[in-house]
Amino acid sequence: MKKAGAPEHSNVFRKFLHRQESSIIIALVIYIIFVSFVNPTFISSGNIFNMFRSSGFSLIAITGMTLILITGGLDLSVGSVLALGGVVSGMVVQAGMPVFVAILAGMAMGALIGTINGTLVVKVNIPPLIVTLGMMYATRGLVAVITRGVPVYPLPKKFMNIEQLKLFGVVPTVVILAFFIAAIFHVVLNRTPFGRSVYAVGGNEEAARISGINTSRTKFNVYLITSVLSSLAGVMMAARLGSGESAAGTGFELTVICASIIGGTSVAGGRGTILGAILGGFFLEILTNSLTLMRISVYWQQLVVGTVLILAVMLDQYKRNYMLRQSLKTNITDSTSLGVSDK
Amino acid sequence: MISAEPVLRLKNITKRFQGTVALKKVSMNVENGEILAVMGENGAGKSTLMKILSGLYPGSEMEGDIFLNGRPVIFHSPIDSENHGIAMIYQELNLELDLSVTENICLGRLPKNNFGLINWKAAEETAREALARLNTELDMALTVRNLSPSLQQLISIARALVRTPSILILDEPTSVLTQRETDHLMKIIRKLQDQGLSCIYISHKLDEVFDLCDRLVVLRDGFYVSEYRKKDGYDSTRIIKDMIGRNLDVMYPRRSGFSGAEILRVENLCVPHPTAYGKEIINDVSFTLNKGEILGLAGLVGSGRSETINAIFGSIPRKAGRIFMENEEVFIDSPMSAKKYGIGLLTEDRKKNGLVSTMSVCHNMTLTVLQKIRGSLLLNLDKEKEIAGEYFKKLKVKAPDLDTLVANLSGGNQQKVILSKWLITDLKVLLLDEPTRGIDVGTKSEIYRIINELADSGISIVMILSELPELLAVCDRFIVLGKGVVQAEMSREEATEVSILRASSNI
Repeated sequence: MKKAGAPEHSNVFRKFLHRQESSIIIALVIYIIFVSFVNPTFISSGNIFNMFRSSGFSLIAITGMTLILITGGLDLSVGSVLALGGVVSGMVVQAGMPVFVAILAGMAMGALIGTINGTLVVKVNIPPLIVTLGMMYATRGLVAVITRGVPVYPLPKKFMNIEQLKLFGVVPTVVILAFFIAAIFHVVLNRTPFGRSVYAVGGNEEAARISGINTSRTKFNVYLITSVLSSLAGVMMAARLGSGESAAGTGFELTVICASIIGGTSVAGGRGTILGAILGGFFLEILTNSLTLMRISVYWQQLVVGTVLILAVMLDQYKRNYMLRQSLKTNITDSTSLGVSDK
Repeated sequence: MISAEPVLRLKNITKRFQGTVALKKVSMNVENGEILAVMGENGAGKSTLMKILSGLYPGSEMEGDIFLNGRPVIFHSPIDSENHGIAMIYQELNLELDLSVTENICLGRLPKNNFGLINWKAAEETAREALARLNTELDMALTVRNLSPSLQQLISIARALVRTPSILILDEPTSVLTQRETDHLMKIIRKLQDQGLSCIYISHKLDEVFDLCDRLVVLRDGFYVSEYRKKDGYDSTRIIKDMIGRNLDVMYPRRSGFSGAEILRVENLCVPHPTAYGKEIINDVSFTLNKGEILGLAGLVGSGRSETINAIFGSIPRKAGRIFMENEEVFIDSPMSAKKYGIGLLTEDRKKNGLVSTMSVCHNMTLTVLQKIRGSLLLNLDKEKEIAGEYFKKLKVKAPDLDTLVANLSGGNQQKVILSKWLITDLKVLLLDEPTRGIDVGTKSEIYRIINELADSGISIVMILSELPELLAVCDRFIVLGKGVVQAEMSREEATEVSILRASSNI
């Protein structure tokens, strides 16, 4: 008997195609090769570390955003939370408190906003788009109120060190932190009951609820996690700039969502991986960096990013349809042979 | 007053779907100005016939002829059928809930003024007139969402009347109405009849049909079976026999019928209506379930069978009612707590709330036991594979492997995956809502065999099945729901198709 859905899976290439990240990996490799030919400085170690360092902040938030998107949700407040985390930790350290207290204070702000987001989405049942859009404005307003629009500056050297220290003299802390967080949540998503319920909620929330999964807690947790991570990114950003900027992270939410989607996360929920989203984040970084290196005007960059986003989703859809057709081929021929013609 | 040529004549209508034939050479007439009832069990072909008449199934995809006032017609789409004067009122009202009464009634026919803009005055007048024909007066600016189901129903009828139909088709129009509202609707239908409209009335409720309809046609398994006239008098026993009198073509495994001590007791369950706000679909239902027993929950469409088991399981809220497991009261407010007490639910609609279609067979099976397959912190994936693999083999799921996406499986195999999901837990009571819907005959009897084995192993089962012969063959005991209460309880010996149908239609 012929097995439906599993024709010649031993093929290595097909196995690779079945991985969710395959589209982004192919796109990344092709693009990197292309840019390296056009401008070899792109692959100089200096430029590579530069890209890692500047993408580190968004990678931290991308990890959280991916969890939310997989549940079928959305968080637009991450940019404002980033600013809040930065200014609060800056003010705490300016007040003479130890650095680790400042970091915790910044993250506590994230936890607060995350709790509000989660509660409104889960308990009050307001659509995530509206909740987080509201919180994006409200949080940005809160930042303006507590700073009165003035940057929290200067910040002590010991605070700035948390970002500016380099492992082995080359790898900035923010990069290590981003990879560490991504690795943890990769494991959480694939190997814990919580991670499994994140996928289940996004795939079919009602079915998950009827299976006895605590869908409310799952949804609440992803908003909490994302806000805490965004505020941590804000703390790191303040340390990097040596200043808590009230305008930090404006437009950050769109970059983060964009990266996650380019990395294969489905906004409809149920599909996505941390690895893919992180690669999506790199792709965005590489794109803007390379366009600058190739002396393409900043005015063109957004146009390119937007096009890439849409192309990425198109490629992903095409790939999935292709695979579906392959796996259904045997089924379809079976059922048509059963079909009775009308005439 | 009946003219020689019938207003509608159907000749040898046959409708095939992939693999099955839903209507087989059905012929019937609708006389001018009569109210005709079309009756039959679920799956008899009533809805298929109505979908042909309303143009939902295009005329090019069926065999046979339709004559309107003697002229042959072919309906390519619902608009076609509407333009020929056939108006359909569906069981699920399809109103625009956030539009006004006027807008709903005139939707698609809003009159325009000289500037091409909507002439609201004329629209309101048209809508008002249509409602007046139904003895109804309303504030025309009200949003339809705020109206009661019976008023919403009248608005759908008014919407149909605006199109000046010659034939009105009503599909189970009274399923959400109270007795008084039903009486009012009957009066209105008679009034429309007096105005010369012909009507096709589809209902399960024998008492209504006997009262209202001049003639009655029975369909069964896609065949025209018989017809009766009011003037000859209706004989309910014969009609019920015509509706159900078929031979079972599926083999059902018989079982010993052993059952042990009481495991589940439900007292005074009261459940709000899912769509009609402020009403109850279940008023007061109590019953018990014994260990290793298969209890059949019978009743018509809309009698609240699904709502009863969903309320017990905690997936929909209940207004009142106590639940006892092994004589101890349990407090179930969510599926999570139901699972804790050993209750599982297989829902009516696999796609809607049974399966997570983005996940594999394995992951779907273990959704209910994520905490149990966890080591100290992480999921034990080997243990997961082992547990899921056990049920994969036991229930003979036909799929390439455990990692196959559940969406790629056939209906019967998807159902086996959902069954596995509950069997993996420490299950005591399994609630089954139409477990064999949309499943082919072979897999069907396999599912019934599995259900029997479960009961033999001591799991108690509450089962809803719309196919009465199957329900009769599988269950040990029956409870018949109707009008929000238990109408009858029957042992296997007492229960026949006639007795159950009688109890559920409340004659």
